Amino acid sequence: MRPMSSPSLAALFLSLAALAGPAQAADQVVKIGASLSMTGAAAVYGATQKNGITLAVEDVNRSGMLPGVKLEAVVEDDGSSKEQAISVYQRFINQYKVAAIIGPTLSTMATAADPIAQMQHVPVVAVSNTAPTGITDIGDYVWRVSLTEKQVIPGAMKTAQAKLGFKTAGVLYGNDDVFTKAGWDVMKATLEQLGIKVLGTQTFAKMDRDFNPQLTSLLGQKPDVLVISALAENAASIVPQARQLGWKGPILGGNGFNSPSFIKNAGPSAEGVLVGTSWNSASADPVNEKFKAAMAARGFTADQFAAQAYTGVLVIAEAIKQQGGKAGREDVKAGLAKVKDLPTPLGKFSFLPNRDGQHEPAVQIVKDGKFQILH
Amino acid sequence: MTQQLLNGVFRGSIYALFALGYTLVFGILDILNLAHQAVFMLAAFVALALISALHLNLALASLLAVVAAGLIGVALERTAFRPLRGRADSRVSSLISSIAAATILESIALGVWGPDVTRFPLGVLPAPGQEVGIPSIQLVTIGVSIAMTALLTWMLQATRLGRQIRATAENPTAARVLGVNVDRAIAASFFISSALGGVGGVLFGLAFNASPDMGRSVQLKGLAVIVLGGMGSVPGAVLAGYALGLIEVFTVAQIGSSWSDAASFAVLFLVLLVRPRGLFGRSAARLA
Amino acid sequence: MSLDSLRDLWLTYQSAVGFAGIGALLALSVYTTLSCGQLSLANAGFMAIGAYTGALLTFHSSLPFPLVLAASALLPALVALPLGLPVLRLRGVFLAIATIGWGEVVRLCLVNWQFTNGALGLVAIPQRAGLPTIYLCLALVVFVLWRLRGSRAGYALEAIREDEPAARTMGIDTTAHKLAMFVLGAGVAGLAGGLEAHFSFMVAPSSYTFGRVVDMLAGAVVGGAATPAGPVLGAVFLTLLPELLREVSRISGLAPGALRLFVNGAILLLVILFLPNGMISLPAALRAWRRSRKARHAPVA
Repeated sequence: MRPMSSPSLAALFLSLAALAGPAQAADQVVKIGASLSMTGAAAVYGATQKNGITLAVEDVNRSGMLPGVKLEAVVEDDGSSKEQAISVYQRFINQYKVAAIIGPTLSTMATAADPIAQMQHVPVVAVSNTAPTGITDIGDYVWRVSLTEKQVIPGAMKTAQAKLGFKTAGVLYGNDDVFTKAGWDVMKATLEQLGIKVLGTQTFAKMDRDFNPQLTSLLGQKPDVLVISALAENAASIVPQARQLGWKGPILGGNGFNSPSFIKNAGPSAEGVLVGTSWNSASADPVNEKFKAAMAARGFTADQFAAQAYTGVLVIAEAIKQQGGKAGREDVKAGLAKVKDLPTPLGKFSFLPNRDGQHEPAVQIVKDGKFQILH
Repeated sequence: MTQQLLNGVFRGSIYALFALGYTLVFGILDILNLAHQAVFMLAAFVALALISALHLNLALASLLAVVAAGLIGVALERTAFRPLRGRADSRVSSLISSIAAATILESIALGVWGPDVTRFPLGVLPAPGQEVGIPSIQLVTIGVSIAMTALLTWMLQATRLGRQIRATAENPTAARVLGVNVDRAIAASFFISSALGGVGGVLFGLAFNASPDMGRSVQLKGLAVIVLGGMGSVPGAVLAGYALGLIEVFTVAQIGSSWSDAASFAVLFLVLLVRPRGLFGRSAARLA
Repeated sequence: MSLDSLRDLWLTYQSAVGFAGIGALLALSVYTTLSCGQLSLANAGFMAIGAYTGALLTFHSSLPFPLVLAASALLPALVALPLGLPVLRLRGVFLAIATIGWGEVVRLCLVNWQFTNGALGLVAIPQRAGLPTIYLCLALVVFVLWRLRGSRAGYALEAIREDEPAARTMGIDTTAHKLAMFVLGAGVAGLAGGLEAHFSFMVAPSSYTFGRVVDMLAGAVVGGAATPAGPVLGAVFLTLLPELLREVSRISGLAPGALRLFVNGAILLLVILFLPNGMISLPAALRAWRRSRKARHAPVA
């Protein structure tokens, strides 16, 4: 057999080289650290946030939105402990060299760990912190996707009042957690604003399980509505206990209720409970539909916390895109400022000038064992 | 008001069941068993698992869970307390040992069932709405707690084992001389103590859902109960349990819920300052 | 290893090293009362008082940091004085319970008071304490306790620990000694609290639970409560252990929270059962064990 001629050989090599070409230019791996509560009182939220983040990273990588860039999520448990949260942040910043951090599940952890990121100039995107102050106040590297209670509760309460027309309320809130206490502050102010008389206010602690005394006291005053600010775990006990004590009236819950685990553990008592939410699950927006379908395909339950975490990743990806694909920490920070009306499962998302998040909230009612949007 | 009374007695029943466990072990060994809350918690999870996985009915599952709790108690005594019995600082080291055991048991529950709150499957209890406004679990709990107290008192007073336990609690050396198998009496006490804790745990889980950290809040209140009632006293634990339950509930009703926990600890301090022996305690709480 | 990667390694573990130092101080605060045989579980409460005092002073006054730290140590010590008098008369278990109750009372007050900002606590505390400050304080406390141990007062404490009634018969003022240790422990815990507040940017009631004091106790017991070196060793070991366990759980797939809890409990149990004088006594214990083995296998004369 005659050996191949030089030109054809050259052509062969060139074409082989061309095939090998794109594979040689490796994608830049951009790490995003996520410090989540996988154990402790907020574990139920952390688990679902992880799902949202995992899905978002996959979706972004698959969509080709960031050519030449591959996102990678590093998820670690901060155990709802501030020492661990700080430790996790240090690892993210100095060992994994992340481009951005998705902030701790709990606001309390955020106030301990975010300052570290701020000091070392690493952008943080909070996806579930709802404390009104002390989060974005930390500095210009801290951004927030989750709406504060102030942005969600008033609308929810107004809608509920318009529908149900209540004039008096009994209030129960958890006073040893920032999440629930901040919720109560807003609830109190809104009730006042709407001219609803608060007949009684009771508190409880996260560790409590027996709410009968508080509920008996509140229900004894015969309010029109029961307003509760609690973490999902406590809510799942409070609502059945209220029903068992004979309360047949409406129940309005704060942001902590926004977890399917509440419905699962409260059982049939959860029917009819109204909750203000950041995530309009019924929205027919294509991004939302795609999100829900993708979550279902992976066997994940789609809930507000997952939607917010998903949006957190989207926002970071958008920031990188806005900076022309550059994913250094300063680039991400600069890019976040440019995010405007980004289509996300939460709706069109933008940042406010103080780096808090902004989009349309909604009101839900528990119906047939699921959260459904109340129009 | 009657509902609040019921709430107080209900809460008191749980406290009483829990404190009985503490007091039995303290009576016989002079040690505070801080692993009690972990056994309390595990009983709830065992019952839950038996009902969910094996579809046993509530009564059978509870019985098995309570027996399991008792056995865990016996195992606890063997591994964490018996080796320390001879030591000079046995009270302090037993306390620490019980804390270690509690941590281990809690970690097992955490590993197996996860950190979330788990509810007993529906249908196991009557659904709300069928109630006349009085939760049936409250009535069941109160009834069971009274029954258990009666059973325990009868056992301690009228049976041979009960006499042996009391003798050992009074003076282990003398009891041994009199032919009591002290080791067996101690093991039996632990079984009964943990079984009672198990009963409390199952009821608590039914009423309030189960979670690996469910024992922690009751544990601290339990301390206030045995201090008030007197360490080592069965009637003390029961009466103090109900008393504390009522005190807490009425603090919520009249003053406000933020201070109900503080009320319990205020009681604890007052008793320790004024009469550390508590209402019915026998042992010296102060140094000579 | 390049200079850069060394620097990164340092930055990654810097916080852990800081927390280990604070943990050592806390373990020492429990050691002070253990050294005279008292199981006091009050120090989470004292730590909280110190932490909040320090933070509030930083916010509302212009005191230099050393004075702020001094106040963090002093205020809990002053509180410990009237508290200790009645409480130290209680024996063993009752003392433990009373002090547990005290810790809870402090925590509940912090949660319910507006002026300590309730559940959110105090945030945005400037980081005035760095590793040098923490370890300087630790060295100071270790030095004081070490000198104490060899002194006459130290022998009195040991006598009290061995047999309190006998010590009293010998003429030792047991009340004064126990109270002094209780107050000293409170001061050290308060100091640790003040340091932590200025190292981790915030304080909140949720940091000062019964679980916290159990951690302190574990540090002292696992390390060994016979000398000041023991608690330091124990606390540093237990603080850095989760870092190691993180790798284990990543490799084995076990849930990190459950694993960490299990290992902590298991270590504490093993130590209390088999090595009651703590890790620091391990070399001596091994030597004794080896000697006893040799004696058993020695040829009969």
